[in-house]
Amino acid sequence: MTLYQWLLFFHVTGAFFLIGGIVVAGILNLAAIVKDRPPSQVATLYGLIRFAVPLIGIGLLLTLVIGLWLVHNVGYSYGETWIVAAIVLWVLASALGNIDGKYQRQTGELAQRLAAEGDASSPELRARLRNPRALVISYGSGLMAFAVLGLMIWKPGV
Amino acid sequence: MLALVRPDSWNLPLFLHVLGATLTFGTTTTVMVLGFAGVRGDRERAVWLRSLTFWISFGILVPAFILMRGSALWILDKEFPGGHEPGWVGVGFIVSEPGALLVIVMVILAWLARSPKSRVAVAVPWLASILLVGLAIAWFAMSAKPGT
Repeated sequence: MTLYQWLLFFHVTGAFFLIGGIVVAGILNLAAIVKDRPPSQVATLYGLIRFAVPLIGIGLLLTLVIGLWLVHNVGYSYGETWIVAAIVLWVLASALGNIDGKYQRQTGELAQRLAAEGDASSPELRARLRNPRALVISYGSGLMAFAVLGLMIWKPGV
Repeated sequence: MLALVRPDSWNLPLFLHVLGATLTFGTTTTVMVLGFAGVRGDRERAVWLRSLTFWISFGILVPAFILMRGSALWILDKEFPGGHEPGWVGVGFIVSEPGALLVIVMVILAWLARSPKSRVAVAVPWLASILLVGLAIAWFAMSAKPGT
């Protein structure tokens, strides 16, 4: 196999890890907010999201590093529209994902505390789970990763 | 270097195929994580997690798998209209056909596992793990296209 084939495999592996991790976190987050659940269930679901974190981290690293290597290997210019747009979206998605991760960790800790104190639902937990700004940040960062996938396939400007 | 010369009409089916494949990977991972979490701990929590595993496998994994497989046939029809597809395409069939059977068995077992007395719950996350290995083999073949 050529270097190009190996690079493409690891780049695609990064995309699978990144989007797969986003899907895991998105589904578990959705499961926590679609129904009024006791804090113990919310804490369990938010606790399981930790399995998505290494997938997302490895995915972010592989997509960027191997992606830039591929640009060089294939002979594209680093200034091409679709490459610049993909990098901008990658940075934005990472930054928003980081903000969302901190927010979700705090929500998980609140749910854990409430579960230990009698497992009674609280308006504060409900408000955190359905905070519109947090949801826009969370699902916005995920959608940006899907947009990068679209850019990789359509390559506008090529 | 196929990407450099790929006709525009292939882009939508290819996007849907990759989207379906990544959604299938993410959902299968979710089923595996929830499935393993659902075989330990107290009974009430385990039954709730198993029920969630069933709804996610039925409501998200099945449509994602159909999207992946359906769009694969669409792009195959465009890329190799007369048949005679290369070996890496065959790997996709070798993985996705038993994979479809695996998904069906997994959904049925996840449904049965919702009962507190069921003993089949432990099979669901292991089947999901096997499907993940198959998906990894397929994305290696689809992306690296060994032999070309």
